[in-house]
Amino acid sequence: MNIGPDGVLHVAKLAEIGVDEHELPRLVEQFNHIVDYVAQLDDVPSTAKAVPFLAGPEATPLRDDVVNPAALARPPAAFAPEFADGFFLVPRHGAMEDL
Amino acid sequence: MSAVAVARETGARLANAEALNATLAWSQAALDAEAARVDALPGRGALHAMPIAVKDNIVTTDAPTTCASRILEGYVSPYTATAVERLRTAGAMVACKANLDEFAMGSSTEHSAYGRVKHPLDPARVPGGSSGGSAALVAAGVVPAALGSETGGSVRQPASFCGVVGVKPSYGRVSRYGLVAFGSSLDCISVFGKTVDDAARVLQVMSGPDPLDATTKAGRAPLAAPAPPADLKGLKVGLPKEYFPSDLHPGVRAGLDRTIKALRQLGAELRDVSLPYSKYAVPTYYIIAPAEAAANLARYDGVRYGRRKVGPEGDIRALYRATRGEGFGAEVRRRILVGTYVLSAGYYDAYYRKAQTVRALIAQDFQRAFESGVDLLLTPTTPTPAFKAGEKTDDPVQMYLADIFVCAISLAGLPALSLPVGRDGGLPIGAQLIAQDFAEARMLSVAGVLERVLGATEEVRG
Repeated sequence: MNIGPDGVLHVAKLAEIGVDEHELPRLVEQFNHIVDYVAQLDDVPSTAKAVPFLAGPEATPLRDDVVNPAALARPPAAFAPEFADGFFLVPRHGAMEDL
Repeated sequence: MSAVAVARETGARLANAEALNATLAWSQAALDAEAARVDALPGRGALHAMPIAVKDNIVTTDAPTTCASRILEGYVSPYTATAVERLRTAGAMVACKANLDEFAMGSSTEHSAYGRVKHPLDPARVPGGSSGGSAALVAAGVVPAALGSETGGSVRQPASFCGVVGVKPSYGRVSRYGLVAFGSSLDCISVFGKTVDDAARVLQVMSGPDPLDATTKAGRAPLAAPAPPADLKGLKVGLPKEYFPSDLHPGVRAGLDRTIKALRQLGAELRDVSLPYSKYAVPTYYIIAPAEAAANLARYDGVRYGRRKVGPEGDIRALYRATRGEGFGAEVRRRILVGTYVLSAGYYDAYYRKAQTVRALIAQDFQRAFESGVDLLLTPTTPTPAFKAGEKTDDPVQMYLADIFVCAISLAGLPALSLPVGRDGGLPIGAQLIAQDFAEARMLSVAGVLERVLGATEEVRG
């Protein structure tokens, strides 16, 4: 499969990652190299089946539905870039882009 | 020796090891504070005054946690990882935060925003990764043990390269609370030790259910490695043929041959087994892990953590893109893009769903091998000894293939360890033991016997 610069930029947009123009040719080449490599899973016959693998315990343990205070050494305001009145501050929302 | 004296000696060793670039944060004042805390404990814990390096993707409240990424520069966690809390309660001291590949994505510790880590035996070579800083510090004798993390072999591979013991527990054995998430269905806090006993003692203290991590398994027998027996009579060890290709590096083959000979001499029975789907482990891993990473790393958006850069348009989306484009390094960006791609509409079934099917087939292979009657599996840990810095950085797929013998075990959630078994041109060679789910005790016990037999040989000591 050949994914061109526009395709890679579209994926970067979905991932909310800015890409510098000068980096794009190399990124496109490496992205295609990786996608071509992982595509070898096509060789596994679609008839090959196994019980789905689930990491972790067989069932999620339940706990009491109560709110416990989080034991934090410092409040969120201490590590967020901008914080006021209990809220994270962000720039304005622009017009929603067409993805 | 008092904790204060240990802290002073550890500080001196850390200062002498600066050229390795293996640490991201440490200070004598912090070490002295750790020593004072340990000396004030009511009794001597199981790890009394043991200095332990902690990979810098495991959070603590008293030092920054950067994940070796610019995007978390200066970030200090408001809580401490459960594993670290348990080690401290047992008397261990956090010696330093160790360098790593950014967000644990890499196999050489060349993808750190704070510079590459150097191999302690040859500075032109890599220590492996992503937990290369932790491995190098143990190999250089700075600390007897260190915490790393595994998503697809990030402790066993550097342990093999550096000639130390590296143990990945079963998924769910050790709490992930406080381990910065990369691939949540794969991530395991894991441990390096100068010896099997050092690693086993640390793992034992960290293990056990944690109400703060719902994926830890309750009701399992606590980990307790028995003392290594005198021999291995009755033990059945499987040799998966797919892990011994005809073109295996001669030094690696020699190390494995020596291990097989020692197992036979100790009375173990060796059997050939097959894990046919393991050949798909690396491509499967490089679909599943990036997909999970793309979701987990979405939180680094310039709003809630550390670094922020406002984009030219000045709105929120421009902020996201500018912050993430500048804050993440090249390998992390590549993986997020691949993960986003394989999860996107039109490609999900072809890549992500297919990879989940193959993951199940890989896990089923291991289950069948163990059901055939073998107690453990033995394989090489890495296809080659430590490679030179810069050798694989231009080709991501070549870098990924450094993990060809360790990925499948992570996908199957099984415990495994790497043990030094030889040298080639002065560089360490590791062998990998793989056990059934939650059967770490036997694996560690057998590794202890092999260490006793092989560790005394000139081929291993170098």
